[in-house]
Amino acid sequence: MTTSTSHDATATDGWMRRFAESAHATETRLTSLDQQVGDGDFGTNLTAGADAALRRLDQLPGGDTDPAAPLEAAATAFLDEVGGTSGPLFGLLLQSLAAAVAGSGPTTVAYAEGVTDGLAAIRRVGDAAPGDKTLVDALTPAAEALRATPAGTPPDQALAAAADAAWEGVRSTARLRARMGRSSYLGERAEGIPDPGAVGVGLLFASAQGVVTDLDTHLG
Amino acid sequence: MASYFENSSDALVPDALKGFARAHADLVTLDPEHGFLLSRTAAPSRRVALLSGGGAGHEPLHAGYVGRGMLDAACPGRVFASPHNRQVYAGSLAAARAEGVLHIVKNYTGDRINFGIAAERLAHRGVPCARVLIDDDLASDSADIASGRRGTGGTVLIEKILGAAADTGLGLAELQELGTRLAARCRTLAVASAAHTAPTTGEPAFPLAAGELEYGVGIHGERAQQTVPREPLNGLVERMTTALLDALAPEGPVIALVNGLGAVTPLELYAVHGELATLLDARGTDLARALVGDYITALDMRGFSVTLLAADEEILRLYDAPVHTAALRW
Repeated sequence: MTTSTSHDATATDGWMRRFAESAHATETRLTSLDQQVGDGDFGTNLTAGADAALRRLDQLPGGDTDPAAPLEAAATAFLDEVGGTSGPLFGLLLQSLAAAVAGSGPTTVAYAEGVTDGLAAIRRVGDAAPGDKTLVDALTPAAEALRATPAGTPPDQALAAAADAAWEGVRSTARLRARMGRSSYLGERAEGIPDPGAVGVGLLFASAQGVVTDLDTHLG
Repeated sequence: MASYFENSSDALVPDALKGFARAHADLVTLDPEHGFLLSRTAAPSRRVALLSGGGAGHEPLHAGYVGRGMLDAACPGRVFASPHNRQVYAGSLAAARAEGVLHIVKNYTGDRINFGIAAERLAHRGVPCARVLIDDDLASDSADIASGRRGTGGTVLIEKILGAAADTGLGLAELQELGTRLAARCRTLAVASAAHTAPTTGEPAFPLAAGELEYGVGIHGERAQQTVPREPLNGLVERMTTALLDALAPEGPVIALVNGLGAVTPLELYAVHGELATLLDARGTDLARALVGDYITALDMRGFSVTLLAADEEILRLYDAPVHTAALRW
């Protein structure tokens, strides 16, 4: 559990490493969810991206004090080294976060800006709107929560609020019917099952605080 | 059982790319690490690079259209699968001109997403990028299909015309506008009498009785929405032509592409074109230009497509401009 009141390169590096651990810890559960509503490869793709991110984090120069560098490294890993489409979409989100942090430091305001930009990029690319049972349904409330957090709030606190909002969004996807993607062909058979991509968003924000090992407490 | 000549199913695409680059070393270079082909001969007058890509299995598309007067780069995916965003991103960075790069994308969800991710990455790098979406397939024109019409044969004609327009020094927004206008003026219909050979099984991808045709197939070997009884060629081509003309309502000259999907003979394709020309003549439609042959295939599908593009004098002038690629040259 990190409790720092401001973020630095150690904090963003730790966040990305915990995200990788969370992906591994929940891979089996993610795969089983995706087998019910998707191609069944989301768990594997997320851990593949996480492993690629860890390799790149390990290659960063020791003592690097640029807080954007770990986010950029993870972004490139997910963009370049993951197949399918969901993994690279996480890369786009991380790329926007890295750009915002590079611009104005690892602050609550930068995280709000980065997540908002990342959400916009993902929506442009995937042509998905809230309610379509995609990761947008978790990312939208997370971005809103970050924007609603006062500027002086410590980043950990802001990201914790984003995580709570994301998990709420994840739970909402279980009640939705998909309009696009593989699960759109399943109609009501996919109802009751949360969208795995949205779960990945929950994992990302929750990993700012600590490693997620038990998904079911968040899925409700 | 008619399996493919290959070292392995995974090796076929990279092996073919290597062979293609060697055969056309005067026209293209292959970046084997990122998996894209780059033109060696694009005109210096271009301010914007043209890049296309999509699944393999449609040869000569897209690699065959890289060269002078057409594409600056092509990114092939695996068979019938979108290229990865990193191929498109790396290819775009390598090809980009002073005013950026135009992506010519066939309307498939995977292609849209992967080209879209690459475009977002290019934006982060400050490289201007725009997209022309090609959605000419009339068979998928239905309110029930949320993803919209598929991109098929029209791609070849639009890439040719945009190539000539890029050579005149048009900017990114002008090329995008022209490409979008061309896509709106272009429709295609395809039929098949036998499925392609599925790479994984060596068997036909779907069964079809001897007396039946799949009417409205795409280029990925999927079944059409309709299976119809076979009829003489004149009736079949008339049905297709009527549907295309109804959709396009061309007021000026048209450019036609009669295209083989991989396993139809040139003999048959010219017979198709003969019927098409007779019908257009009878309706007073000016058949101004025509291409007949295998230009965008679906592995060895036994079928053909007919594309009509409603042209005008300016479009014909661009179409007539010199082109020198592996698969198209005049």
